[in-house]
Amino acid sequence: MKNRDPRKRRLLTGARNAIALGAALFAASAQADGFFSNFDLAVGGFLRVEGTYSTSSYDNPNNQLSNIFNGREIERQAFVPPTLLQEVAVDLPIVGPIVDLLPIDRPVVDSWTTLPLPALVATDANSPGLRGVDSAAGEGTPFPRIDNDINYAILRGEVEFGLRYGQNWSLIGRLRGIFDPAVYDEFDAQSVAGLRRGIFGGDPALYRGKPNYFEYRVEGDSSPNPLEWTGDDYQVYFPALFLQYNSGPVNLRIGNQQIAWGQALFFRVLDVPNGLDLRRHSLLDYAQEEFSDKRVPSLGIRLGYQITDAVLADAFIQKFQPTVLGNPNTQYNIIPTQFTVHDLYKEGDYDDELSYGLRLKGNHGQWGWQAIAVERFNPDGTFRWTKSNVATPLPNELTTTGQYVNTTLALQGLDSGELLAQTAFEVAPGGVYSANEWFNYAAQVRLNGITGLNASIEEFPATTELYASTVETFEEATNQLNTFFIAAGGSLRGHIAREYHREQVYGLGGSYVTEGEPGSLLDQLIINLEVSYTPDRTFTNTSLSRNYIVEDAWIGALVMEKYHRFTPAFPATYFVLQYMYRDTDDLFGRHLSGYGGSETKVADGISEAHYVALAFQQPFPQDVYRIGFATLYDPRGSILVQPGIKYKPSREWTFEAFYTYLDGDLNGANPNDTLLSTVDFADEVTVRIAYQF
Amino acid sequence: MHIRRYDAGYSRRHFLKQLAAGSGAAGVLMPAWKALAETGEVTRAYPEELLSIEAYTKGQIKPGDIINADNVDLVKDLLEPVKYEQIRDMGRRLKVKASTTDLMRLSPWEYLEATLRHQGKARFDDKGNVVAPDGGPWIGGNPFPAAETALELFASLTLNWGRHDGSFYAIYEEDLGPEGRVNYSYEAGWAELSPVARTTMEPKPYWPGHEDKLRYQSIVFLSPQSSRGTSFLNIWPYDHSTFPVLYGYVPEFKRVRQFPTDQRFEPLIPGSTLYLSDAWAAGDPLYTWGNYRIVGRGPALCALDDNWNPDDKNWHHGTHGGPEGKTFWDTTVELVPEAIVCEAEPVKFPRAPVSKKRVWFDARTGLPVAMVSYDRRGQAYRSFDAAFSTYQRGDQQFLDGAHPYWSWAHVHAFDLQTRSMTRLEQVREVAGHATIANDASMYDRYLTQSALSRLGS
Repeated sequence: MKNRDPRKRRLLTGARNAIALGAALFAASAQADGFFSNFDLAVGGFLRVEGTYSTSSYDNPNNQLSNIFNGREIERQAFVPPTLLQEVAVDLPIVGPIVDLLPIDRPVVDSWTTLPLPALVATDANSPGLRGVDSAAGEGTPFPRIDNDINYAILRGEVEFGLRYGQNWSLIGRLRGIFDPAVYDEFDAQSVAGLRRGIFGGDPALYRGKPNYFEYRVEGDSSPNPLEWTGDDYQVYFPALFLQYNSGPVNLRIGNQQIAWGQALFFRVLDVPNGLDLRRHSLLDYAQEEFSDKRVPSLGIRLGYQITDAVLADAFIQKFQPTVLGNPNTQYNIIPTQFTVHDLYKEGDYDDELSYGLRLKGNHGQWGWQAIAVERFNPDGTFRWTKSNVATPLPNELTTTGQYVNTTLALQGLDSGELLAQTAFEVAPGGVYSANEWFNYAAQVRLNGITGLNASIEEFPATTELYASTVETFEEATNQLNTFFIAAGGSLRGHIAREYHREQVYGLGGSYVTEGEPGSLLDQLIINLEVSYTPDRTFTNTSLSRNYIVEDAWIGALVMEKYHRFTPAFPATYFVLQYMYRDTDDLFGRHLSGYGGSETKVADGISEAHYVALAFQQPFPQDVYRIGFATLYDPRGSILVQPGIKYKPSREWTFEAFYTYLDGDLNGANPNDTLLSTVDFADEVTVRIAYQF
Repeated sequence: MHIRRYDAGYSRRHFLKQLAAGSGAAGVLMPAWKALAETGEVTRAYPEELLSIEAYTKGQIKPGDIINADNVDLVKDLLEPVKYEQIRDMGRRLKVKASTTDLMRLSPWEYLEATLRHQGKARFDDKGNVVAPDGGPWIGGNPFPAAETALELFASLTLNWGRHDGSFYAIYEEDLGPEGRVNYSYEAGWAELSPVARTTMEPKPYWPGHEDKLRYQSIVFLSPQSSRGTSFLNIWPYDHSTFPVLYGYVPEFKRVRQFPTDQRFEPLIPGSTLYLSDAWAAGDPLYTWGNYRIVGRGPALCALDDNWNPDDKNWHHGTHGGPEGKTFWDTTVELVPEAIVCEAEPVKFPRAPVSKKRVWFDARTGLPVAMVSYDRRGQAYRSFDAAFSTYQRGDQQFLDGAHPYWSWAHVHAFDLQTRSMTRLEQVREVAGHATIANDASMYDRYLTQSALSRLGS
């Protein structure tokens, strides 16, 4: 006969790390009489290997080595800037003779379409844009377009502990550690360090080397997330570490914590307290888990009060923490790496800001309701052009376009590098190489290529001294962009700042559980309707102007859940059908006016967005196997389909696999007119093997 | 006093006669409950052959003996068929003790006192609800101690499962496959609180403002980490025909969600063979099942006492049997003079995996001692047998207030079709949550949506 004490067993067989060892020591002391006898410690955790195999033929286009223009020579032609001739050229001793050489009458150059710069004058004037190649110096190696077989591979470990003191107090902690061995073909910025000054601007830890998979770095602070320790390839943090006090109906939590509100799954209508952590696997984890490891924890205080059996109050005040985006060149990065991002979370003093809110929730038999009011900083933030502060000058190789510009500036006592530092651009490899690329990527990220160009000129006066001028037509924009890319020796990188904005979110929800013939499809259908309203929400302007878009935003979701037994032999199948409506931005928070662009036309916008999600789970008897299926459909022309299976043969082992299929241009739709083209590259099979201790 | 003037077949004929009548109170020589009420014992109600295992087996099995494959045929008629097979074929053993005759060791003290105090006052109202003389909710104790019908037995059981006003059971669960290995183990807490029919907790018999509720009940899984925080809260209306509302905390979602009220035959966690519907053999509202009927009567071997293990600091029980010696709890049984076997069908669950259940009640107390459920084809599907105990042995005891705690000690849930076993035991404490009874704090600690969120963190 064997006695089994789970705690002893756990300590003997499972505690395989220092924390568990500490737990054992503490548990031993906790058994002593006196103060420690009031403590109780429980520890558990798991190790998990996760890997995804790509089934698509291309990688994330936002990264350097998977940019869709890699390996393509894009035709470019430099033009004589209208401001050069109108305001400067006639007075300059060098440019004047150049103009005289042209085989035409002295032209009236009043736009960017008037006067191509002949190759006879500037040897690079019609050089093609080829990513990775410095067209002024004729140096550099074209960037290949890679297709990693492995999209993502990590080792994850988690340890949970609960330290209780008496009946009222407890300390809850969850420590998560992740290591990414980086088994990918990676871009290394050092490989282009010899071109001009290489990629110089931005945080060196993010932009001057290999991908940094885990560090969340902002201007002035290399670790703005509390209780998080990260490096290039590892992340250790506490998703939860809080002190909890419970007495009667009062529940108080103080510390680092996550808060989930609302009934809609995946569709975040009332789930507004926390931002999301889009490092690691971004939003492409198993959809059935919703945002289980995605909500960014915040230091805060949460007070819950069970007013009656049926009514619950829940309030929080917490330090504002932004949504964390994937770093440049990491697998699921969503910001094209032609940009350098300056996150102003610290420098803008947003790290001292608080968010707070209140939720009331009631259930009365078949009916339920909830209401929220939240004052917060929108964790998604906004982006705008910002000064690059990088003084890399235009190329000065003989008879290049850049040299002509440098010369004309020098005659005015100006320096192209100093001027460029006052603009949103940086002369550097790995930027935008052609107008085609500019417009294509502007459309991909739901921006407007023309107004974006104009905003970068209007809001940075130094650009006019570099002969830039605002444009009205697609052709003008194309010519001006190509001119500057050529003058820059091939490419320009854009610098953008990330800022955050306070807002108030109000929300209401109602639920109803139907009653019908027992066992029928309409019996026990759980219906939830949630609506949120945010007056004067601030959005990124599609021009990246500092004049943000400010509009009222409505979001609504209708959720229908049903558990239905098709056969007595199998447990009930869980279905959830959801519909979401948004009138201002898309599911990723991008303003709808940026929709509809392409390489040949600018965005014309859409007025509203609709999404439909359908998911089901089918546990097998005893829940040893569980299959799942989820799909997200944007009627404008994209879909995500994700079947999966979970197998748990024992307490210790869990095996999971799911396949994610994405189509971002159903039926030939403009992919920039629909949601999921943004992640269309991520067709992949994910496998997880977990060992629990 | 041992009655010797009846031959061995007398009681058998009596039981057959009562079975044919379809109803009838417990007791062979006199109504058992009358004997209990008058003397605190049932010896006057039954002949000696039903009060002594030694007499029943004509001396071949005595208290202290072990029932195993070698001698199980001697007591085959006293065992549910599944338990008999487990002993014969799977190495299960039962230790035999003398029959418990002291009524006060067979249920909580206050529950029995209320039963005596309120006997004869209960009735079914027009809706079929058990009510007090004034038509209000029941006022405490067993409303039908001399139950004559299966409906009365199930009504009493459904009204109060654990027979305390409030209970929090610290539970250790192990799930074994047919190869006898422990594939899954869980630590869990089960809370149940009666807002009506209270005998101990103030205010009593009703908790003002909650008279329309029958029960608050929750289960929370505390370990391992993969299931930690998974929890379900049932709030039962007093109306015996209405489903409880059901809420659940799903750790992945980090919030409490509403579940369908008829979600009572679903696996709660991987590997377990238990459903909410299985609780106490009466896990659903009374009239969501129907066709209650008595299908058998007779003596039985049941585990009613001496099943608490104070020798282990956390009350863990020993195991034995099965391929690896881990399939069965060590169990002490005794001869129960009369068990009533009832059946019922899940009339409000058209897609339930079970077609009926058969429950063995100790006729003296209405306590369910075993259950077998049947699948939709009518094949035996799962078997449950529970062991109970007064938590007192020698000078060691665990009090639920002024008296030794009485409760269940362990449960076997055996899936006959997959040959997998789920074993549950009540322990002193799991993950810092201790077994308690009649403690008013358990409502806020375990039985609100707020509590589910807190326990899930």
